[in-house]
Amino acid sequence: MAFVLFLSVFLIAACGLVYELIAGAAASYLLGDSILQFSTVIGAYLFAMGVGSWLSRYLTRSLVARFISIELMVGLLGGFSSTLLFFAFAWSQGFRFLLYALVLAIGILVGLEIPLLMRILRERYQLRELVANVLTFDYLGALGASLVFPLFLVPRLGLVRGAMLFGLINALVALWSTWIFRHHLPQPLVQRAASAFVVLLLGAGLAIGDRITDTADAALYADEVILARSTPYQRIAVTRWKDDIRLYLNGHLQFSSRDEYRYHEALVHPGLASVAAPRRALVLGGGDGLAVREILRYPSIESVTLVDLDPEMTRLFSTHPLLTALNGNALNDPRVRIVNADAFPWLESTRESFDFIAADFPDPNNYSLGKLYTTAFYRLLKRALAAGGAAAVQSTSPMFARQSFWCIHETLKAAGFRTYPYHAYVPSFGEWGYVLATHTEWRPPEQLPSGLRFLTPANIRTLFEFPPDLAPVPAEPNRLFDQVLVRTYDREWREILR
Amino acid sequence: MIRRRDLAAAVIGLLPKSEPRIEGGFVFESETEGPDLGHRLRDRARFPAPRRTERIETLIVGGGAAGLCAAWHLLRRGYRDFLLLEMERQPGGNARWGRNDVSAFPWAAHYLPVPDPRQTLTRELCRDFGLLEGENWNERHLCHEPRERLFLHGRWQEGIEPAIGLTPEDARQYERFQQIVGELRQTGAFRIPMEEGLARSTPAIRALDQITFDQWLAQHGFSSPYLRWYLDYSTRDDYGTSLEGISAWAGLHYFAAREPHELGPLTWPEGNGWLVQRLLERIGARVRTGAMVHSITRAGARWQAAAGDTRYDAAFVIFAAPTWLASWILDPPPPRWPFAYAPWVVANLTLHRWPENRGLEYAWDNVIYGSPSLGYVVATHQNVKTFQPETVWTWYMALASGRAADQRRLLLGGDYSYWKEIVLSDLERAHPDIRRCVRRLEIFRIGHAMPRPAPGAIFHPERFRRARHSGTLVFANSDLSALSLFEEALYRGVSAASHVLRLASRAGA
Repeated sequence: MAFVLFLSVFLIAACGLVYELIAGAAASYLLGDSILQFSTVIGAYLFAMGVGSWLSRYLTRSLVARFISIELMVGLLGGFSSTLLFFAFAWSQGFRFLLYALVLAIGILVGLEIPLLMRILRERYQLRELVANVLTFDYLGALGASLVFPLFLVPRLGLVRGAMLFGLINALVALWSTWIFRHHLPQPLVQRAASAFVVLLLGAGLAIGDRITDTADAALYADEVILARSTPYQRIAVTRWKDDIRLYLNGHLQFSSRDEYRYHEALVHPGLASVAAPRRALVLGGGDGLAVREILRYPSIESVTLVDLDPEMTRLFSTHPLLTALNGNALNDPRVRIVNADAFPWLESTRESFDFIAADFPDPNNYSLGKLYTTAFYRLLKRALAAGGAAAVQSTSPMFARQSFWCIHETLKAAGFRTYPYHAYVPSFGEWGYVLATHTEWRPPEQLPSGLRFLTPANIRTLFEFPPDLAPVPAEPNRLFDQVLVRTYDREWREILR
Repeated sequence: MIRRRDLAAAVIGLLPKSEPRIEGGFVFESETEGPDLGHRLRDRARFPAPRRTERIETLIVGGGAAGLCAAWHLLRRGYRDFLLLEMERQPGGNARWGRNDVSAFPWAAHYLPVPDPRQTLTRELCRDFGLLEGENWNERHLCHEPRERLFLHGRWQEGIEPAIGLTPEDARQYERFQQIVGELRQTGAFRIPMEEGLARSTPAIRALDQITFDQWLAQHGFSSPYLRWYLDYSTRDDYGTSLEGISAWAGLHYFAAREPHELGPLTWPEGNGWLVQRLLERIGARVRTGAMVHSITRAGARWQAAAGDTRYDAAFVIFAAPTWLASWILDPPPPRWPFAYAPWVVANLTLHRWPENRGLEYAWDNVIYGSPSLGYVVATHQNVKTFQPETVWTWYMALASGRAADQRRLLLGGDYSYWKEIVLSDLERAHPDIRRCVRRLEIFRIGHAMPRPAPGAIFHPERFRRARHSGTLVFANSDLSALSLFEEALYRGVSAASHVLRLASRAGA
């Protein structure tokens, strides 16, 4: 009997420390600055335990029943503490408030535990022996928890399910206390039923804990996340809200299904429709297959080569029903060849030539991506472009990054292209820019494929007119050894976001 | 993105981790290569007698940059009756390179400064290799941005010249130094190749070769620790010698011989190994490796050189190996060669991930202020991938101060784990998690990497004597310039080759 009692002390001490560690770890992870978080959480927790110990003096009757209720409350609050914290972080502004409220509440309850237990056990043991044993097991429990937390709990279970496991232990202590102290309980069955209920609740939580973390992840995006993948290259997330499907790469919006046709029609048709009987096309970047979809509208096209770094990206957009519906199953078309490779080295090594090339890369926000916008890269592009062909280059926004846009234009010119800058309005992006690059003079197409929703032969010309607020500004070409574009782009977007 | 795995990583990240194993060892130190071979020469070890004789008109001894450039020049002039012998299995000397599953990487020299229009010979080579087209440098081979950064006061700054925490006095001294350098540049006495400027030397300029750079700086009141660090770094980097050991002439040459240039340098993943490969493409079949010439003797009007089981009977010899070796190979030996040679350590680290990096992006050249090393160069910098999860870094250290012989003992005395620890603890200053990122670390100990241009070296009579071409055996190593630069090796190699071409055409006529 003595052993079971002191085991209870050991377990509830361990539980108490675990909740404190969980609160500190969750706060550090979500808010950063782990020294501040751990220090304030531990301080608040110890203070609350003091408050609990002090409050214990006001509990005078039916101590055992009180002890069991406290265990159940600690189990529930502590067990769901990390779940509550993650949801509060994802969905509300009150994370800090909830954090300290939880820490104080759990701390007060844990502070009540040991004084109550000592008073319950007072009749069975001498004070000297009692204090020594209870405190010994209390500290041993703390040691156990501090070892289990980093070595087993966090790596194997995670914070959400780890908290539930320890909540369950609190509830089990309550449950067996209804047996041990059954002679002290006026209605042992009621307590037992309550304990069993809490045990079941936490057991269920433990079983579905995985799904809870996924839901919290989803909450970081405004819309429902229907697909999320972490690949070695990037984090891919697809969201849906009603009929609007959006693709995010590393948290940056790539397209919205509501207006992507504007972006992709503008990327492909001004160039491709101007080429006489185009046969071979190349898409660099653009693993979503949306530019490919536009290219396949031309019956003369015999092959489309899609070069995208991330195999997971092209796999998703050729297998997931929702995504293949978006790109019209373009990536499964027998004319399409998918190459998962880094664009610059691939272009350097290829000896093929193409009638139409679309360069659809992420914006040049670092030196690695900036390489794909240099004269060196565009010279390779020029080599790969067949006589009479046209290349279209995604060129960031002439509105938000005006000088960057004209820098890309200047770079294509310096690489020896004839250039024709244009822009289109894409609501989810804003005013967006492209540069058309050719060997010989370009004339706007007289005809476009049928089924377009944005472009007409008449309105294509208007895309090439720049209002005064988007008009050319002087810019230097971007070169591998002097990436002015990356610095310009960084400066311009910083001014926007300021 | 709250995921359980990330949470675990966040918390576990706080705990100390056992370090992963780092593989590696010394390179170029097997039985037939490396220091032992040189030592056998020095100790006059017995070599087997040659069993066969091969007759050739011109023999080039040494397959480093100088020897290869000599061969390049001979071939360009349509001369084919020559053979190049290299003692190591891999040609290239200080421009040797390696390759693994991640990248190619240099084993020593790793760049060529963009030659200004006066450097006609270097420009000619660049044109031949497609680096210079018309007046345009090939962008692919110029060092990509970001080029250089310096770890100073706990953070990375752009460029190698210290810019954080300078007092107005530091800045004034810096400006004054630039001004003096500008004036020296105007004299035309500091040129690359160095020989071309010497005729313009005034007594005041000759006097610069009589004192150390350190003494010169003190005389001119240059006391700024930042300036002195930068100058010391520069002379260690190019000449393997610190301020206290280098001739003021050589220290100033580093700055006064080149126009301040926006472009460059030219560099490649394998460093100057790229140049060696272009040279070998042209010369290939006439290069024999693993062929150490251990004796060269006169035989009437001709020369007999023994290497392995073959005796080469040649009319002309271009001795392009390090000049100090001639004392052990030539019979009778030439006068004592008076220069000491700086020992170097070069390490190539293969990283399975990049260390955490805040602030500035990784540059090509990354230098740590106050470190005895020269920092590291990122071998994957010049590849144009947007995604490069693994990389190779080349770390350099010249054992630049004290007596060269003592430093060499230190170099050869330390075992692999000693030098590995030096490399890692040096990088740890700027990258605390470096040990968890490295999976392979290989070390090249170079006993005699380059001549130290000590005071007196530039105007030393023996240097002039050895560099002058007379007779049928001529010297060609870059150490004839006392400055270990690719351009000097090219100049010496081509000069020697031109001399041989003159003699050969005279003999043929």
